[in-house]
Parts: sequence; structure tokens; C-alpha cells
Amino acid sequence: MADAPPVGPRRLGRALGVLRQSRLALVGALLVGFWVIVAVFADDCVISPACWTGARSYTPTPWLAVYSFSESVGPPLTGPAPAHWLGTDRNGRDLWARLAYGARIILTLAPLGVGLALLVGIALGLVAGYFGGLVDEVLSRLIDALIAFPQIILYLVIIAALGPSAANVVLAITLAGAPGIARLVRGLTLDLKTRDFVAAAQTRGEHALYIMVVEILPNASGPILIDAMLRVGYAVFAIGTLGFLGLGLPPPSPDWGSIVNAGRKFIQAGHPWDALWASLATATLVVGLNLLADGWSEETSRYR
Amino acid sequence: MNQTPPPADIEPPVVEVEHLSLSYATRQGIVPAVRDVSFAIARGETLGLVGESGCGKSTVAFGLVNYLGRNGQITGGDIRFQGQSLLGRTPEALRRLRGDQIAMVYQDPLTSLNPVLRIGDQLTEVLTVHRGLTPAAARARCLDMLARVYMPDPEQVLRRYPHQLSGGQQQRVVIAMALLNNPALLILDEPTTALDVTVEAAVLDLIADLRRDFDTAILFISHNLGVVARVCQRVGVMYAGELVELAPCAQIFADPRHPYTQGLLRCLPKLGRRKANSGLYPIRGRVPAPGQLPPGCVFEPRCDYARDACRQQRPDLRALTAEHASRCLFAEEIDAGAWVPAGDLELPPPAAPVLAAGPILRVNDLKAYYPGPRNSPLAFLGLGPQQFVRAVDGVSFDLARGGTLGIVGETGSGKSTLVKALIGLEPLTGGTVEFLGVDLHAPVAQRDAALIRELQMVFQNPEATMNPAYTVGQQLERPLRRFHIVPRSQVRAEVIRLLRAVKLDEYYYDRLPRQLSGGEKQRVGIARAFAGRPQLVLCDEPVSALDVSVQAAVLNLLLEIQREQATTLILISHDLSVVYYFSDQVAVMYLGQFVEYGPAEAVYAPPYHPYTESLLAAVPIPDPAVAQAHLRLEGPVPSPLHPPSACRFHTRCPRRALLPEGGRICEEVAPPWQAAGDEHHILCHIPLAQLREVGTSPK
Repeated sequence: MADAPPVGPRRLGRALGVLRQSRLALVGALLVGFWVIVAVFADDCVISPACWTGARSYTPTPWLAVYSFSESVGPPLTGPAPAHWLGTDRNGRDLWARLAYGARIILTLAPLGVGLALLVGIALGLVAGYFGGLVDEVLSRLIDALIAFPQIILYLVIIAALGPSAANVVLAITLAGAPGIARLVRGLTLDLKTRDFVAAAQTRGEHALYIMVVEILPNASGPILIDAMLRVGYAVFAIGTLGFLGLGLPPPSPDWGSIVNAGRKFIQAGHPWDALWASLATATLVVGLNLLADGWSEETSRYR
Repeated sequence: MNQTPPPADIEPPVVEVEHLSLSYATRQGIVPAVRDVSFAIARGETLGLVGESGCGKSTVAFGLVNYLGRNGQITGGDIRFQGQSLLGRTPEALRRLRGDQIAMVYQDPLTSLNPVLRIGDQLTEVLTVHRGLTPAAARARCLDMLARVYMPDPEQVLRRYPHQLSGGQQQRVVIAMALLNNPALLILDEPTTALDVTVEAAVLDLIADLRRDFDTAILFISHNLGVVARVCQRVGVMYAGELVELAPCAQIFADPRHPYTQGLLRCLPKLGRRKANSGLYPIRGRVPAPGQLPPGCVFEPRCDYARDACRQQRPDLRALTAEHASRCLFAEEIDAGAWVPAGDLELPPPAAPVLAAGPILRVNDLKAYYPGPRNSPLAFLGLGPQQFVRAVDGVSFDLARGGTLGIVGETGSGKSTLVKALIGLEPLTGGTVEFLGVDLHAPVAQRDAALIRELQMVFQNPEATMNPAYTVGQQLERPLRRFHIVPRSQVRAEVIRLLRAVKLDEYYYDRLPRQLSGGEKQRVGIARAFAGRPQLVLCDEPVSALDVSVQAAVLNLLLEIQREQATTLILISHDLSVVYYFSDQVAVMYLGQFVEYGPAEAVYAPPYHPYTESLLAAVPIPDPAVAQAHLRLEGPVPSPLHPPSACRFHTRCPRRALLPEGGRICEEVAPPWQAAGDEHHILCHIPLAQLREVGTSPK
């Protein structure tokens, strides 16, 4: 105990400990981990530096994505078969390859959007909670106003106004997520700022920014982390919905929502595969994130 | 007053506990929480169980009512209740056998009362459901019972919700509820710990009366030896899950025969002991965890008398006389009177305050108000007249350099707000404060760093005083870096010096707060406050959350650092003994005002302000041989939103009748400061001669 390990490895060790203790978190981690691996290794760019600089175009990894997501590689509208594991779409593109590349999109945009929402939300929440009074009043009403909108309407308005693009999807997720995070952080801050260690920092004459970021924020990180995991799940849903409504990334981008939308016309024609696989992919990723968050919060609260 | 002899041994005891052992199953395996505890309680007798936290007192109580939780179990021994064993029976059979015969009262009355039901509904339900009484009959009996626990205006109380009652009234309701079924055994688990000292005194009186009236056997659990001395006939001392001494109350205090009991009594600051003429002797080490007990006597690692034999066998609880039993191999030899402190514990006398340099702090007519609720119908628009909670309302004093000012008073007297206003955490509403010749009107955020460095604070709650996210070292480094106390390269060395100054080893540098005990956290809090070598340190109840043995060590530490750095201290405490022991000057505070101020010896001797006198009469003294005046305050502390007119104490003053016309002047004219000599001042209308007379009158 006398020589406690430095903070980094200790955090990692605790994270692994949670996975060992909670079967729920483990299943979630496996589901999420599956899609992360698929997304990372959809092509060989990750392992070939020449591709990063644009000196060479990517090639789909033969052991994972196998085919390109944008080229016609077989007869259109086939079911699962050894040549095309999940079948092909109406343009003869390999569905598995499209899902794999779609995972890459979703797993970039969703965490990016949530990350930005965290930055905005934490800043707003800390300021509102710590200063209180009029500042809190103004910020809280603003937050309430944003929360009062159904999220889907926020998304639609933003994308409809700014046009469908990856940057605008991220912006929409940020704007829709930040108020909820701000409200959570505000509540945690209200509690934490009454603790004596905050008073001790104040009597030391510390700057308000120091107190918020150094004294309060680390103690709020647990609930924020769990909330963020859930929010990534919601963001995955949101991106899928936008894609389905035709407001996601423009074709031929293999966005999962667009795949469902394109495939829905062929369901009654006896080719449900597009819609089915893309829906399943979305579902497994979201369920995985939820299980991970649930298991994590259960395990961490048990030690309190 | 409570020394009635125990009843003759014709009747069998109500409850007999024989060699009881209890265990909890935890992640670390089976942990023996209580081992080999034996005692019996007769009708009309009160047995006290004392010990520090974690010694298994409450576990014994939970074992008696079979409320150990899912992971607890009785692993040995027997509990016989009214002659029948309670062990090995199904829960249903237990329930029938025990019936309503055992009642339990917990520390926090609010956890026993349902917040959404009226008191009347909760009380009558006990009788209508369990006894089948009609609502009218149940109501009549409840009224009767509330009257017997001295509840003022029982009719009103029945219509109230729990949150509308004060803490003392809530505890009375809970006790009344426990007594409704006329139990044979009443278990009181720290029933007065959450209450103010004046309220505590009234509840203790009640408990003593009830034992006589109801002829109930009472098991009284407390960490406070003074409380136990007041209500118990016999006392059992628990340590690390074992009963180490069991004796009549008077003998425990006069002639303790176990080193732990002796140690506990030595580390208490008693009324009448001062830092100048006596020391507090903490027990070294700490209570072992139940999973890591020493092989021999459980107290051996902390014992001053330990010999080889103590390490080899675990002693049994053996009878020294018919009534006195001790779990010490050498109980006959150890004499509390002959004990001398080990050399390193002896404290040098404190340095006298340096008065020449003039006062370090000058407070004149200090006011700190909080905005209160608005009662006007326009309130929801944020309009209507603003009311103020007058937390501190006109306090003036000078503080000498190097001295210690103690401030005592009940909850809500404004003592915490006073220090928070001084340090700049709460805004001043009026008055002036001058510290080192500098005006202290600005909130802390706008003060100069050099000024901030000279004025620091030690906080009350050891659990919240440290940031759980950082190691001890990181938290001690911050003030050093911030105030540039030492060059950057020497910060680590200075932190280690600070740790050593508060008697912690170097390896605490990398510990996280959750790896520390309450006392250790408080030490780090003290180290942090003194890191910048401030001139004035404000201590807000620094020891009230700590066990007595730890409390003594922390008080000694504060004294030592104060002496080394010649710091001036302001100590806030609700514990009058601690304040008397520690302070040079004492101020007694009531509803935002000082009512008495002066040197400690003068304040704690007649003439008293009637409030001071009531507080002193209420303090539970850990010595049943000491006679105290019987003076009890009526009613709750009035709201600081609408403090009483003129003299704020007139609504509760027990000495008002001394003045003509029943003290009408107290309601109409603000009392004057009367000088009682030697810088001793009393805020009262009653002439000093009369106050001196009633203060010294035979008890």
C-alpha cells in the first residue's frame, strides 16, 4: 500500500476489475469491442502509414471487410451466401463490407459528437452549479428551453437548416446532448461545492476556475462517464435515424440508417437483408453500450 | 440522583446474554464482529455499553433483536429472553416469543418516523394494528404516553408531521412509540448523540424517569462516558468486539480495572481540567480491524502494562468481586491512580499569550444575515419584503496574539457563521473586522494572497475535508506552492516535514484519503491549514466527529503546533469540556450574540450568565460522583428569523423569576454588558451579586 502505483495504470486496473466482476459489463464490452475492431480494421489503412498520407488508396482487408463498400461486386439483391456473407444490395454491393465501413462512420461521429457535448455541457454545468444565483438562473432556463424540444426535432431542424454533412451531424449531436450533460453536472456540482475541501480551496484563495476543474470535476467524473456511455448509444440511434430519413451522409456513404432506408423498399419483394442487418448492427451496438454503462455504474456504486 | 440500588436477585433477569459471538460474511471472508460477550439485565435496571466506534456495541443490540442483516449470523453462545432461548428458532416463532416485548430506539429519530404520516397516525397504528384497540382508545393512550415523555401540548403534536418537530421532540415521540407496547426490554442505541447538550440533558432525565416508572430493563449504548455515567446503574466497556470490563457505574469511573477503561477516562477533557495544569493522554495505536486481531489480549498492542503473558493467551472475562469483572490478566495489579504517562507523552506547558503586540483580530458589531423566505403572497414573483436570518447579530471582541478563543453554543447559535464570515466564506452584513490592522470586509476571493495566507481554517467533517481524488501529498503541496512557502525544489521535503509535524509517517504522501482513518484525515486537514504558517487559524468543531482517544491526540497536536508557530486560534465547539480545556478566552453564544465573554476560568465559574449556567448543568460529566445543578432549558431555540425582543434568552431563561414582575424588563429593554471583573462580561439584567449567589448555591 505504501508504494501505490501511479494514477494511469491504477485506473486501467480498476476498469479491468469492473469487467471481471460484472458479467453485464463484460457482455457490453464484447459487443462494443466487436464493432470497434470491425470499424478499425475495415481496411488496411490503420496498419499502413502510406495510406494515412494519401500516398496510396486503401484496400479492404481481405480477412474482414473483403470488398469495397462502394463498388458493385456481385449480382444485386442476393441473400447470405459464402461469397457474400450477408448478401448484396440492389446495386450488387457487399452488405458486410457496407456495414463494416458504416461502423467506422458511426463510431467516429457518435463519440466525437458526445465528446463535444461533454465539453460544452460540463462547462455550462460547472459554471451554473458553482456560481449559482443569476448565472445559474439564466443558464438553467436556457438548458430547460433546449431540453423542452424533442431531440428528434432538434436534429431535423439543424440538419434541414445546415444541410446533411458529417460536421453538421456532429454539431446536431453536440447541441442536443449538451443540455442534458449540463444539467447532470450542475446537480453534481451543487452537491460537491458544499464539501469542506471546496471551502478549504476557497479559504486558500484559489481561482474559481481552479476549484471547478481541479477540485470538483474529478469527483464528478464517475457519473459523467456513465452518462456519456449511454449518450454515445443515443447518438448512434440519432445518426441511424437521420440516415433513415435521408438527412445523414450523402450516398454512397455506407451509413447504417441509409442502408435500412434503401433496403426497406425490397422487404416486401422478398429481400429483407439490407434492412435486417443494418438494424441488427445498430441494435447490438446500442445494447452493448447500455450494458457497459449499466454494469459499470452497478459495480462502481457497490464500492461506495 | 440515579443511584438506586439494583433490585434484589429474586427475579430472573429480563435478558441474559451468554458467551455471544456474532459474525458478518464479507468479501474478505467471515469477520467476527463480536466475541464472547456475556451480560444480564434485570427489571428496572439500565446497563450501559460504551466503547469507540467499531467496537461492536450496536452489533450486540442488533443480535438481540435478530436484525443482523443478510450477511450477519450468531456463531456461538446464547441469548435468553425472559428465561427462554432465542436461538435456533424460526423467524415466526421468534416473533411470537418476543412479541412486542423488545423495543429499540435509534440515533436518528427521523429514520424511525415516516415523514408522510402525522405523528398521531403513526402512534395509534402501533396500538390499533398490534393490539386491536379502537382508534379512540388508542388515541387516548397515545396522548397519555406523550404526556409521560413530557411532551408539551400532546394534542397538537398528534396532528403534526415529523419534520414539524424539533430533534428533541422527535426523539421523545420515538421513545413514546417504543414504550406504547410496554416492552420488557428497551434498547437505546446512541439516543442522544444527534441532540444538543441541553436537549440531551432533558432526554436523559426522561430515560432515567421511565426506567423507574415502567420498571423496564434498558440496554443503553453510547460512545459518551458522560452520558452513561448519568443514566446507567451498570456499565460494560467494549473493545474490538469483546466486553473488557463490566462493573457498577460508580466503580467503573472510580476504580477502573482494565487498561482500556483507564485509557478512555484519561483521554477525556473533563470540566475543570485545563491545558495549563493537565494533559490529555491519548491511547496509542488504533482499534484493530475485526479480521486482524492480535493473537493474545486484543488490547495488548496499545496497552501500557503489556507483558509477555498478554501476548500468549487471550484472557477471559473474570470476576474480581461479585459485581466487578475485567478481561485483564493483571486486573488486580493495575491502578489508575498510580499511572504515569510515558516520557514522550508529557506535554510542556503552553506559552503564555504575547499580549504586548496588541490584538491580532478586532471585531466590532459584526453582523452576518442570510436572506430568509418571503412570506408575502407576492413572494412567488420575487416581491414582498425580504426577511433575514440573523445568524450573527452584533458580535464584538478583541483577540490577543497567541491566545485561544473558544466559542460555545447550541446548534443554530451562529458560531459557524461567525468564523465563516471572518474567513470570508460568508458576506458580512455589517460591522467591522480588523485583522493585523487590515480591514477584512472583502470576501475571500477578493483578498490579497498575503492576507489569505495568514488566516486559515480547520474543518469539522474529516470525511469531507480532503478531496477524494488526490493523494495526501498532492493536497499538502498545493498551499505550499500557492503561497510560495518554500522553493519549488523543496516542496516535497516540506510536505514530509508537515506530515511528521502531525505525527504521520512519510509513506502517507502517496495515500488516498479513502485509505485513511477519520483521525488521520483530520491530521492532514490540520497540516494543510498550518502549511502556510498562518497567524490565525479558525477551528470549526475540529474533533467532534472523532472518537475520544483520537480526539485527545488531535487536541494535543493542535496545542503543540500552536506553541511551535505561536499561532492564534479560534476554536468552535459544542463540547464545553473541550473548550474549557483548550481556550484562554471563552465566548458563549446564543442566537447570534455573545451573552458572556471572558477568561475561561472566569466564564466557567460563578457568576454565570443563566444560559452558561444551563449549559454547564446539562453537560454529561464522566464521573457519577460529581453533583450537577438541576437546571433544564424549556422549549426549542427560537428562530433567528424573528429573534425574541430585548434579551434573546428571555423565552427560555430559568433565572428570569429573580427579577421583579417576573422579568418584564427582559422582554422590553435590551440587557446591559455587566463587568464581572478581569475582563469578564455578562449580558444580563440580573445583578451580578444575585447571579453569583444562585451560581454558588448548593446543588
